[in-house]
Amino acid sequence: MSVSHHLADETLQDYAAGSLSSPMETLVACHLTVCQHCRDRASIADHIGGSLFEEFEAVDVSLSASDLLAQANVMPAHSAPSASPAANPVSGVPRPLARLLNDPLEELDWKRIAPGIKQYNLSDQHRRFGAFKLLHLAPGVVLSAHSHNDRELTYVVKGSYQDEVGRFKAGDIADLDGDVAHQPVVDTDEPCIALIATHSPVRYTGMFGKIMQPFIGI
Amino acid sequence: MNTSVPTQPKKRTDAAAELRKRMGDNLVAIGRDRDEVAFADVYSYYAGRVKSFLMGKGMVEEIAEELTQEIMLTVWRRAESYDPAKAAASTWLFTIARNRRIDYLRGNSRIEVELDDEMLDIETTENDSQAKFVDDAQDSIRLKNALEKLPQEQRQVMHLSYFRGQSHGAIAKWLDLPIGTVKSRIRLAMQAVRVSLQNEEEALSEPSND
Ligand SMILES: [Zn+2]
Repeated sequence: MSVSHHLADETLQDYAAGSLSSPMETLVACHLTVCQHCRDRASIADHIGGSLFEEFEAVDVSLSASDLLAQANVMPAHSAPSASPAANPVSGVPRPLARLLNDPLEELDWKRIAPGIKQYNLSDQHRRFGAFKLLHLAPGVVLSAHSHNDRELTYVVKGSYQDEVGRFKAGDIADLDGDVAHQPVVDTDEPCIALIATHSPVRYTGMFGKIMQPFIGI
Repeated sequence: MNTSVPTQPKKRTDAAAELRKRMGDNLVAIGRDRDEVAFADVYSYYAGRVKSFLMGKGMVEEIAEELTQEIMLTVWRRAESYDPAKAAASTWLFTIARNRRIDYLRGNSRIEVELDDEMLDIETTENDSQAKFVDDAQDSIRLKNALEKLPQEQRQVMHLSYFRGQSHGAIAKWLDLPIGTVKSRIRLAMQAVRVSLQNEEEALSEPSND
């Protein structure tokens, strides 16, 4: 399999600026794991941040360098509350997603939401910030045609689907502009599993419409 | 003389390159020898910028001061992980400050690629020619020149995003523009930088004076 659908420049820039939610970051990091091309572009976005940093106007700080070093022994080293390295990663899934799963994909506690469509919510905590979930689509499933209000990322974990934009296979990311109307179809005899995050807590106006359609996502 | 136009772009570029080299060398010296003089130089250049960055993101001064100290201590303690072949000192500092801010505000770390992931690199794309690491001093200068040459409207949205911590939607509201306009300015800026890194001759020419 080879990746043919990539992250948009503005998404990579937002990621570099540190403005994405952690669900969105997870999607970005999943694709970056399998895509050297986007990793290189993401790195350029970091370099832009570094370069602009030099243009920044400095403000006064209260400590001098030597004061700080003198205090260094009494200040604890900050350690990020990072996930433990052996967080039981699920094989065949990029680590940023695997860390959120306790079981292999097929053994997750999937909830059926429509014929041929199951979902697994990844975080209740992020519900008010938008959806963050896995979708499990049976072969042949055709989703109702729809468009999106705001940024929404879809990362294909397994299988594939096809829509007006193209064919999305494992490793691909759909990073589409809101207005693109599309109708995804699972196009092989393998189920398609996709990771989805939607952006923006301010976008509740469209939510009821989405909930009425039994399916939310992709 | 028009003061808004750089009259000696060549000299300015040289000074920027010299500063970058010095800061990179400083980080290497800290990592290797725990060089306190090198640290003092790094500190005097970056500490005030780090604090300014954090406050620009809406953090109160007291907390920004505290985090700045933590970040500068991280620089002191972790300088050996700085690789001058991979990034300018400023990029390294920027990513540390950005990540620490995310940690603080969100209570969980920025989610990143894990370099020992078994899935890493199993994919390649056919067309990688447009992507390129910024891996040497020449590239850094090219990138800086490209940013300086951006139209003001593009520089403005980049600054608001990187240094005011604003989402593209918030920037659109702030500037009273459609969000699509903000996104397309960001896209254009990113593309211009990438093109400058592909096309040495064009990008090495000095920022134009018009
Ligand atoms: Zn990609």
